[in-house]
Amino acid sequence: MFSQGDQIIQQLRQYDEAKHQLRQLQSSSFSNDPEVTRQIPLAPSYTEQGENLANNGGNYTSLKILNKRPHYVPPINFAIVEDGIYRSGHPQPNNFQFLSTLKLKTIIYLGDKTDNYDYYRWIKDQEVSFKYLKMKPSVEPFMYNDENSLVSALNLIANVDNYPILIHSNKGKHRVGVFVGLMRKLLQGWCMSGIFDEYGKFAGEKGEGDLEFVEIFKPVLRIDPQKIPGFVRI
Amino acid sequence: MTDTVMAQSQEAGIVTIDQLKNDSKENNPATSIELVDNPSLRIVPPLNFCPVEKSLYRSGQPSTINHSFLKELNLKSIIWLAIEDPQDNFLKFIEDNNINFFYNLGFTGIDSNSWDGLSEASIREALEIISDKKHYPLLVCCGMGRHRTGTIIGCLRKLQGWNLASVSEEYRRFTGVRGGRILVELLIEAFDVSAIDINPETAPEWLIR
Repeated sequence: MFSQGDQIIQQLRQYDEAKHQLRQLQSSSFSNDPEVTRQIPLAPSYTEQGENLANNGGNYTSLKILNKRPHYVPPINFAIVEDGIYRSGHPQPNNFQFLSTLKLKTIIYLGDKTDNYDYYRWIKDQEVSFKYLKMKPSVEPFMYNDENSLVSALNLIANVDNYPILIHSNKGKHRVGVFVGLMRKLLQGWCMSGIFDEYGKFAGEKGEGDLEFVEIFKPVLRIDPQKIPGFVRI
Repeated sequence: MTDTVMAQSQEAGIVTIDQLKNDSKENNPATSIELVDNPSLRIVPPLNFCPVEKSLYRSGQPSTINHSFLKELNLKSIIWLAIEDPQDNFLKFIEDNNINFFYNLGFTGIDSNSWDGLSEASIREALEIISDKKHYPLLVCCGMGRHRTGTIIGCLRKLQGWNLASVSEEYRRFTGVRGGRILVELLIEAFDVSAIDINPETAPEWLIR
């Protein structure tokens, strides 16, 4: 079985050979008879193959990639935090098919937008529990990290009954980054440099104020020892 | 006034954020304990460490300071993609913890270079290891955890049916300030996922969707 690159190169080579033969034939016979040129085997055209594939019920794209799997579009800045915890930016309608595969039980929204009605209808259809924790966007130099919202989100994360959880803000950079940083620090005991590196992967350049907050903030969490997930180290 | 607006919007089938179900489980105050201190013994994740899926992780080459972190993952197998040999302390860690070590995947011949991309055969070999759940928990790593690891994870995402923009976004997240290599992205784009057979009996459940 050929790889896709090999197939393309093979086709191009066949096409070149056919063209070369055609040119030789035209120069030697002085004949412009269309019947002669038509007999020369050219490489199978893309459209012909496409028709064959369409008849066989397969999908067809012009790059000749046979893709029988569905096309999933994850939300922006989507990532797996731990087994059963996902982080992302705000889901859009084209992400719903992907999000359905995660079989979510809980969605936590850290943010302040309340007008994404398509999204709310999808959540209602999926029967996912939706926790709206209001948090203003953090715009430097004023950081509005809402301590109460973050603590209640951390308490929800510490309970396995809520899993699988998706936690998202609007862009999945700063507010979720602060939350994941606190989770790494308070529940998992990561070193601060590892937390800063992870925050930076999603947030890019900005957000020093957020990092100060993650380092300084020391809330008292109340967690149930029988419900804690496996990754928590106490 | 607001009541009529509410009634109208409900008739039109509009769901507002307040109407959504919210029955997430709070911790029971009777059995809960106060968590005052964060864990005093800090663990250090390896360079470019990130969970990819359940029990599947990616990273750069771990050093001795990361060994306590790696022990918590209870790794069963490690895929090493760089053509250079790993450091001795890493090899010792692998031996001490009885971890299956898959290496020489990137080695295509005597003339293979560390800046060459992975060959299609090595990508296929790595993906065949990844799509067998008997190797899990599994760590995929190379020298820095950027390009070679990124190629394999990118092709895995394609196998999972992700769209290419999201695959590239994830790849670039790990490449640092110098950005992604266009050759790696081309390799991911041109990779033929139909060459990988997924056996539903041995594949991890997140791969069968």
